[in-house]
Amino acid sequence: MSQTVLIKIRRKDNPNAAPYWETFELPEKPFANVISCLQDIQKNPVNIGGVRVKPVVWDCNCLEEVCGSCTMVINGKVRQACAALIDPLEKPITLEPMSKFPAVRDLQVDRARMFKDLEQAHAWIDIDGTHDIGEGPAIDQETRHKAYELSQCMTCGCCLESCPQYTLDNNFLGPAVFSQARYFNMHPTGAMHKDKRLEPLMKEGGIANCGNAQNCAAVCPKHIPLTESIAEIGRQTTFHLIKKLFVE
Amino acid sequence: MIKRQAKVVVVGGGLAGLSAAMKICEAGIRVVLVSHQPVKRSHSVCAQGGINAAIDSKGEGDSPDIHFYDTVKGGDFLAHQPLVNDMCHQAPAIIHLMDRLGVAFNRTAEGHLEFRRFGGTLYSRTAFAGATTGQQLLYALDEQVRRYEHDGLVEKLEWHEYLGVVLDESQVCRGGVFHDLRTGALFTISADAVILATGGPGQLYGKSTGSAVCTGSAAAATYLQGAKYGNGEFIQIHPTAIPGQDKLRLMSESARGEGGRVWVPKDPKDNRNPTEIPESARYYFLEENYPLFGNLVPRDVASREIYEVVYNKGLGVGGEAMVYLDLTHKSPEFLDDRLGGILDIYEKFTGDNPKTTPMKIFPAVHYSMGGLWVDYESDGNGLIDHQSPRNQMTSIPGLYAVGEVDYQYHGANRLGANSLLSCIYSGIMMGPGVANYTKTLDKAPEDIPSSVFDQARIKWESRFKEIKSMNGKENPYSLHQELGETLLANVLIVRENKKLEKTLLKIDEIETRFGDLQCLDTSDWSNPTPSFINQLYNMIHLSRIIAKGALLRDECRGAHYKPEFEIVQPDEFDPHEYIDYLEKKSYEEVREEAFPPGHLEYMKKFEENNNHWLKSSIAVYKSNQPEISYEDVDASQVTPRPRKYN
Amino acid sequence: MKTLSKSEIQFLLLKLHSLTGIIPIGLFLVFHLGFNSLRTVGVQQYQFGIDLINNMPYLLWIEVLCIHIPILFHSFMGFYVAYQGKFNVFRYAYPRNWMYTLQRVTGGVVFLFLVYHIGTTLFPKMIEGKHLFEASPFLIGIMNEQMSTWSGRLIYLVGILSATFHFANGLWGFCISWGLLIGKDAQRNAGIAFMFVGLVLALWGVATMAAFALDPVSVEPVFSKGMSL
Repeated sequence: MSQTVLIKIRRKDNPNAAPYWETFELPEKPFANVISCLQDIQKNPVNIGGVRVKPVVWDCNCLEEVCGSCTMVINGKVRQACAALIDPLEKPITLEPMSKFPAVRDLQVDRARMFKDLEQAHAWIDIDGTHDIGEGPAIDQETRHKAYELSQCMTCGCCLESCPQYTLDNNFLGPAVFSQARYFNMHPTGAMHKDKRLEPLMKEGGIANCGNAQNCAAVCPKHIPLTESIAEIGRQTTFHLIKKLFVE
Repeated sequence: MIKRQAKVVVVGGGLAGLSAAMKICEAGIRVVLVSHQPVKRSHSVCAQGGINAAIDSKGEGDSPDIHFYDTVKGGDFLAHQPLVNDMCHQAPAIIHLMDRLGVAFNRTAEGHLEFRRFGGTLYSRTAFAGATTGQQLLYALDEQVRRYEHDGLVEKLEWHEYLGVVLDESQVCRGGVFHDLRTGALFTISADAVILATGGPGQLYGKSTGSAVCTGSAAAATYLQGAKYGNGEFIQIHPTAIPGQDKLRLMSESARGEGGRVWVPKDPKDNRNPTEIPESARYYFLEENYPLFGNLVPRDVASREIYEVVYNKGLGVGGEAMVYLDLTHKSPEFLDDRLGGILDIYEKFTGDNPKTTPMKIFPAVHYSMGGLWVDYESDGNGLIDHQSPRNQMTSIPGLYAVGEVDYQYHGANRLGANSLLSCIYSGIMMGPGVANYTKTLDKAPEDIPSSVFDQARIKWESRFKEIKSMNGKENPYSLHQELGETLLANVLIVRENKKLEKTLLKIDEIETRFGDLQCLDTSDWSNPTPSFINQLYNMIHLSRIIAKGALLRDECRGAHYKPEFEIVQPDEFDPHEYIDYLEKKSYEEVREEAFPPGHLEYMKKFEENNNHWLKSSIAVYKSNQPEISYEDVDASQVTPRPRKYN
Repeated sequence: MKTLSKSEIQFLLLKLHSLTGIIPIGLFLVFHLGFNSLRTVGVQQYQFGIDLINNMPYLLWIEVLCIHIPILFHSFMGFYVAYQGKFNVFRYAYPRNWMYTLQRVTGGVVFLFLVYHIGTTLFPKMIEGKHLFEASPFLIGIMNEQMSTWSGRLIYLVGILSATFHFANGLWGFCISWGLLIGKDAQRNAGIAFMFVGLVLALWGVATMAAFALDPVSVEPVFSKGMSL
């Protein structure tokens, strides 16, 4: 007889409904991951009690850990479902939605706040226009290497889910935004509008609310040096504050 | 007089959609950006290797003209040349723009852009940002659009799906019908123009390198409303993908660009660890068969060679249909720097370390060269008139298509690192034309009778009611899988008419069984099932375009390979002979002796085949079937000739 | 100089919270532990030290301005900061997350300990009016008594370990918050170095405790009331 795998899923029909656990038993397949298991549930939405239920709802897109969509809490830890191979996971597997974002349905949550926060932090480069005015500024390899480390942030939410300072109801911006501010402040053109990015980080919920638990860097699927970004933004805001208080 | 501010709906937030939105905002036009999911999660993030521009920073003598020639040749001359020419000439400006937007491109020691070699060319022409170039380009455009959102010019509707276009009584597009994927609400948006940037149809095949949203549903829905669909049968198979349960993850062409070598054990029963197999027992089939281009032959050639080696020569890895892609001869530091991201992906999804063990790979469905037919206007000098409202317009006035969803630029086969270019180029290029279109409109959206919109909405409301009341025996997800398996088995690398005929019958069967579906979940709130059933319906029709187009095209061209109709090229043939032949032919009857034996016969056959088949296939929806006709291709600049890569 | 907005004031207060933990509170802690370790040399030397401090001019002002107010401010802000977070160390049991959790726990513990410590030493001294040379026999008497019971020893052990940990880890947090430590390796190395500093401070304190506990000698005032040096 072929092996099966048990998956316990924390479900919720809508944001106001009570959550409940539902267990599914699925055939184990080679190279299966959490996504392929959820797909199998779609094809046969019957729980362990033999009851036909609504298929589980979750978000996913690229399935190769570059889009950030399928973030969920797997066996207690936040990560991308596509990169969670079934074989090495402890069984039964538990799947929960992230807890730091408003629930939508089942494993879906609403991460709109992350994108709004990027807007607050002026996370872009102010170009004059898209017309052809020639090359961009030359950038040394070391700076570009650092920048590339930071620019891979896919706004997946792992850092915020694991951060003890980030909660559903506060307004902490969190490591992803701090790191993006650092990224743009590093760019020669971006640096021209440095202050526009530092100001929002010095407001309530800004960099000073970081508690240095450093879970963010530990769970980041892209290994972004978020704690370095936090320290660097700490330095930039400190200088900015001193400048504001005593120089200007 | 107060000038009315125009409004354009852009559907899709990948490279094409975002670059179009950015350019249109720059013209002061309001944009409603509709996306199935947050735009930052669009499929463009999956593009790994790079983006082409003939900047010639290494003094190799590259130029946009050569880039143009390579692209047209790579596409087996099926692409309209003014568009390709314009794209290749704009490419350097596009790279410089993306650089200015802050993309973390790899750099030279002097701090300038670094370029590498990619398939189908002999020049270092591909700019790249590590191994996640698509992600980096997308983010830069996302940031610019966020800037316009901040300024109030862009309104984003994420978690919304496009269902169809709103047409007025004269069949002009006046807006679209949208589905709120959270609340389930259906509504229309009126607009001066609608731009579809909805990507490719990888999901048709069940498993592909495409993302979950790449269903091709938007294009198919538009085809069902009367839009022309071009070159559907040209589906690119990427030669190197990682086998997997839920998807086939791409192993970028840059792995070969950076020196990766493709081989199989000479003995199919050789079960040794690949690192223990000596050179003498390895068959480097690409390097042996194509000494000039080696491992960097174009994708169609590489895929076919792997297919040939595995299925016709019976070789493979441990008895399975796979070959090795080997990078173990490169230093770990070099690989980390140049390919870090993609090698991590391989390790993450297979558990093997590609720096020490050769990767196992096999071809997978990757890109659709075909898509919605779109127009263009040449400037008379072989380039494009950027002000023309015709650029990128579908056969429905006011409805535009851009990016992978259009059928332009790549002909019968796309070259590596040209997709990111075509997406950004077309998105930016169309901007002024769309702005001009909104100025020429006789009526503003407010002047269109509301009944036009109400009818469209009501039609879709009843359609979704119908879907939710489906209570048959078939599971929509299983039926989708069956459709995918059918296409994978029959409409892939090597195509045969008998199998294609059977495929069309199978698609008919699947359509019949579609009527017996069960809507597994009928709730309103954030319920993907009805939406998926609607997508499946569209996918069934799209697969018919592909299968029928493939059946009718009795030739070999680019990604479309039918051995029954292959015109075998003589070994010593030089493509320039064909140019000679055409020139000679224009003065006099060409004599057999003018060319090596067999060559004239080959060239005559080739010419005859081109006269018949060098045409875009155009599918139009008629009585539940695609009706396929053929349109001439603008090949006015580079004479179509036989391709040769060895 | 510009005027600051309300949210910028909050930012400034949080920065000062981090700063006051080091200057003056941390400095005071080092001084306090160091000074008290005179007891390990001998009770006379220790008494001499206390007498020296208690005869300092403006002592009350210095104590209130440089010690009590900063501690109250730091404590108040500390509770505010701790209140904002939600522990998750059992789910994400990384070393740094443990430090984060312990920092908040020890902050609370030190606060309670200080209530006890000040309430049993400084307050009775002030209430009973023991000043100048009378203070040292009084305080030494209290310490001898407290260090004679296991409960007293336990309270001080917990208090000293908590305070030294809170200071050492707080020093690390300060360096990051003010942007003095940026690189990942620098952060790790400094974390280890600061923990070593904390350990030395803790040993210093424990040694003083041991001196009181092992040799509870009481002393007489060097000069009686009304006399001057």
